[in-house]
Amino acid sequence: MSWRLAALKNGFQEDAAYRVEFFLSIFSSALVPAAIQIILWYALFQLGGQTEVAGWSYAQLIQYTLVSTLFTQVRGGDHDFDLQEMIRTGSLSNYLLKPISAVEFVYLRGVGGRLFVALVCLCIGTLAFAAFGFSIPRLWGAMLLAIAGNVIHYQIGAVLATAAFLWEEAYSLLMVKNMLVQLLSGELIPLNLFPVASQWIWKSTPFYLYVYGPTQYALGNWTHSEYLHGLGMALAWMMGLSVLIRLSWGWGIRKYSSLGG
Amino acid sequence: MTSLSQRIRLGLSILRVQLKNNWVREAVYRTNFLTSVAVDMIWITVEFTLFGVIYANAPTLAGWTRDQVYFFLGVFFASDALFTIFFQRNFWNFSDLVNRGELDILLTKPISPVFLSLTRWINLTAGFNFLLGLGIIIRYAESAGFPGGWHWLNLGFWLLFGLTAAVLLRFAFSVWIFWTERGFIFSRLYYQFFSFATKPDTLYPRAIRYLIMTALPFAFIGSIPARAVIHGLTTPEVVVLAVVLISFFFLNRSLWKAGLRRYQSASS
Repeated sequence: MSWRLAALKNGFQEDAAYRVEFFLSIFSSALVPAAIQIILWYALFQLGGQTEVAGWSYAQLIQYTLVSTLFTQVRGGDHDFDLQEMIRTGSLSNYLLKPISAVEFVYLRGVGGRLFVALVCLCIGTLAFAAFGFSIPRLWGAMLLAIAGNVIHYQIGAVLATAAFLWEEAYSLLMVKNMLVQLLSGELIPLNLFPVASQWIWKSTPFYLYVYGPTQYALGNWTHSEYLHGLGMALAWMMGLSVLIRLSWGWGIRKYSSLGG
Repeated sequence: MTSLSQRIRLGLSILRVQLKNNWVREAVYRTNFLTSVAVDMIWITVEFTLFGVIYANAPTLAGWTRDQVYFFLGVFFASDALFTIFFQRNFWNFSDLVNRGELDILLTKPISPVFLSLTRWINLTAGFNFLLGLGIIIRYAESAGFPGGWHWLNLGFWLLFGLTAAVLLRFAFSVWIFWTERGFIFSRLYYQFFSFATKPDTLYPRAIRYLIMTALPFAFIGSIPARAVIHGLTTPEVVVLAVVLISFFFLNRSLWKAGLRRYQSASS
C-alpha cells in the first residue's frame, strides 16, 4: 500500500512543481474546446436561424457544453503514453526489478493531477449548480462516473501500449484512441445528435461514460436507473479491461528484451 | 559578402541533403508511415463526422453548405499536411535546441540558424496526407462552387499562403523558449488555439473572428484560402492579410534576435 501512496504523492508533487504550466494547460484545454462548441451552436441557432436541433434548444446545448467542460477535464491524462515510452526505450526494466505493478504505478503517479482537477471542477460545479438550481447530488454522482471513465481510459491505453512490445512504438495507436474518444465521449457534441442509424457506434464503446453520461445525469436528462446502468457498465468495462491488461502485459513481458521491446 | 543567388543556391543544396537524410531515416522506420496515415485518417474522419452530424440536423451553417465545408476541410488538411511535412518536427525539437544548447553548432554555420533549425527534419510520410487533402478538394470542388480551370493555380498559391501563416504563427509561439524553461506549454497552447483553424471563420462571432484574423491569425491556415478560392476576398481583407503576415514576420525577427542576445548556451 505504501508504494501506491508514494506514487500518488510523487505525481502531485510533479504537477505542483510546474504549477503555471499545469494551470495554463487545464485552462486552455477547458476554455478553447468549450468556446468552439459554443460557437458552433451560435452558428446553428443565431446565424442559421434554427430553433431546435435533435430536440435540443440553444440554451440546452450551451448548458450541455458548460457542464461537460467539468468532466472533460477529468477524463484526460496522458500517462498511457508514458507506458509505451517505457517499453520503447527499455526503461520499463527499472520497474520490473521492483515489487510493484508498473501499470498501476504509472497510473497512480499520473492520476494525482487529475484527482486535483476533479476536486476543483466539483467545487466550481457545486457553486454553479447551487446558484442555478440544479441538483448537487446528481453532480457528485456524475463526477464519480467521470472518474470511473478516467480509469477505463487509462486501462484501454495500457492495453494498447503493449503494441510497443511488438512494433517500434504504440504512440500512434494511443493517438487514434484519443481522437476517437474526443468524438465518441460527447466532448465535442452531445451524442444523441448522431443520426439514429449510427448511434450504435458510440453505444458500443465505453467512451460515452467519460463525458456524455456524466453530463446527461448532472443535467437531469438521465434517470437514476440510467445512471446506475451506466455505472454498472463502467464496472463491467473496468473488470474486463483488468483481465485484458493481465493477459496483454503477461504476453508482452515474455517478448520484452529490455532493448526497446 | 555573398549575393542573394549564392545564398539561395546554398539553401537549396542544404535542403537537398536534408531531404536525402530524412528519406533514409523514414525508410528505416516504415511502420511510422502506416501509423501516421492511420492517425490522420482518423483525424479526418472525426472532423467529417462532426460536420456530418451537424449537417444531418441543419441544411446550412453560417452560409456554408455541407459540400463547401468539406471542401474547406480538404484545403485545411492539405495546408496542414504541408506544414507537417516540412516544419512540424522541427518545431517540436525547437525547445531542445535552446534548452540543451544544441543551437550552438547551428550558430557557427555560415547560413541562417533559423533556416537550419527549421529544415533539419522532414516528415516525408505526411506526403500521403497532402494527397488525401487534395483528393478531398477534388471530390468536393464542383459541388462547393469552385470554378476550376486556372483557379487551381490560385489554390496552389493559397495553400502556400496557409503554410506561411502556420510557420509564422508556430514560430511566434515557439520563440518564447529563450525566456522560459519548458516549451511544452506554448506548443500545447498553439494546438489548443489551432482548433479555431478547423472551422470556417465566418462561423465565429465578430470578436473571435477579429481575433483569428489579426492577433492570432489561425483563420489564415485553411479558412481564408478556402474562402478566397470559393467566394473571393474583398480588398480590405487582402490588405489585412498582408499587414498581419508582414507584422508577424517582423515580430518573429525581433523576438529571435532578442532571444539570441539572451541565449546562454546550455544554461539558457
